[in-house]
Amino acid sequence: MRASSFLNKEVGDCFQKMEYDTDYILCECPLEPLKALVEDLEKVHEVKIAKEPSVCLTMVRAEDSLEKQEFFLGEALTTECELSVDGMSGYGLCLGEDPTRGYCIAFIDALVIGGVSDERIDRFLREQAEAIRERETLDFSRTLSTRVDFKLMEED
Amino acid sequence: MGYVAIKGGEDAIDNASRLVEYERLKSESPPLTIEQVKTQFRAGIDRIMGEGSLYAPEHAALALKQVEGCTLEGAFMLRAYRATLKRSYYSTILDTRSMRVERRISSAFREIPGGQILGPTRDYTVRLLNTDLASETFGSVKSFLEDIDSELQLSDEEAPRSFCKVVDMLKEQGILRPVDEDEEEEKRRVVDVTREAIKFPAPRSAALQMLARAETGGIAALAYSSMRGFGSAHPTIGELRVGHVGVSVRDRRGRSRYIGRIRVTECEIVSKLKQKGKSSVPYMSLGYGLCFGHNETKAIGMGILDRSMRVADEHPANSQEFVLYHTEGIESYGFTNHLKLPHYVTFQSGLDNLRNAMKRRDEEDRNAGAKKPKTMLNTQSQELADASPELL
Repeated sequence: MRASSFLNKEVGDCFQKMEYDTDYILCECPLEPLKALVEDLEKVHEVKIAKEPSVCLTMVRAEDSLEKQEFFLGEALTTECELSVDGMSGYGLCLGEDPTRGYCIAFIDALVIGGVSDERIDRFLREQAEAIRERETLDFSRTLSTRVDFKLMEED
Repeated sequence: MGYVAIKGGEDAIDNASRLVEYERLKSESPPLTIEQVKTQFRAGIDRIMGEGSLYAPEHAALALKQVEGCTLEGAFMLRAYRATLKRSYYSTILDTRSMRVERRISSAFREIPGGQILGPTRDYTVRLLNTDLASETFGSVKSFLEDIDSELQLSDEEAPRSFCKVVDMLKEQGILRPVDEDEEEEKRRVVDVTREAIKFPAPRSAALQMLARAETGGIAALAYSSMRGFGSAHPTIGELRVGHVGVSVRDRRGRSRYIGRIRVTECEIVSKLKQKGKSSVPYMSLGYGLCFGHNETKAIGMGILDRSMRVADEHPANSQEFVLYHTEGIESYGFTNHLKLPHYVTFQSGLDNLRNAMKRRDEEDRNAGAKKPKTMLNTQSQELADASPELL
């Protein structure tokens, strides 16, 4: 059986590209530069911790491909943190036990949601987005190196 | 008969616990770091997370190290740890169509949009021991990594965020059984088996959740039974994919927040659906498998069992209760191993009953004046009682 109508679609039609949002960048970037950025920002902003970074659980919801039957796949360890920066509240959430990242995400969340414009944050997000994109392209290239075109024996 | 506790032996128990640590450490080999375990025992970590029902790679690595590589006990550890934590969030439904694919194959179609991607697998190589690993060094690792990167041709394509699914193609062609819109509400109810005791027949959501946290070996055994002859499964892998999927939750302000990504294995099993009437239109049906980590055997087995449990037949793999209760690894592991604990009172009780029954029969025989030869069991039991009365 050939997948006629489906295969007529260009490969590109099946790919959807997504822009990175702030949370994606902050969760996927290396920890050290993020920590350095927040330490720098802490010098000029007042921080009050409402909830120290701590671990909790996130129940991961899923659904089957055809009938869309929802079910619970299992839980994922999550770090959460709540704070305020100059009176603006921020929430930090990330997978795993990662208190430093949880704190940093909450800190930047407070500034971004509070509408604070800071070139250091913008530059950091741009640079990290580019680094993530490069890393993902590299990973994808490794994956694509295993793309295969199986042929039927009688085609040889 | 209730359980009766025992006491005593605290020192011996403490020493036994220290002795098992001694076994782990006595060779004085360099201690494994959690990072080493996490990165070099990927399959074990993924299995523990799946069966422990907790996605936490570092903690799974810690568990694997603590229990010296036993995935069953490691999963037990992770579930116990999970029980100490508060559940604060529910994710939005995972979008596996947006999976960052590492591996994606179909046994049903040779050509699929985007192509078949073998990814990291040993499927197509001979299973021979690699003796080179015995002398692996930092230098050889570095050299391998440099080689693989130097040979890499960078793709012109940016990493895609979505691959279409093969199942969509089958759906488009009308080959798959249409979704029953009138299915009972109870069957489609979303149940959380960690919060609600299930009754059979259980809603499909409960079955899928239990399979997702079930023990890989148990799933493989029952799925295999249905393929081998104790069932009517003739499965084909419509699509098997492995990769990372983003997880998002709503924070306290109600905003959707990306919190990270998890590696999952997803499998869609396609099989023929028997029709009752001759005039009925034949369809293919779908079994669905999804689990934490890279665990293809589990996802495939889950897909097969999801399908078989929805078919009314007499085989073990068709029984929801049989499948779900007996593939629950922590319970089966716990129950099997509880047999090692002292059962002195219950065993004594059994012996007492046996001895009393034999005594009654002897008395009946004597009263009846029968001259029956002593049975082997009778003789041995009496000899044992004579020799060691304290045992009985």
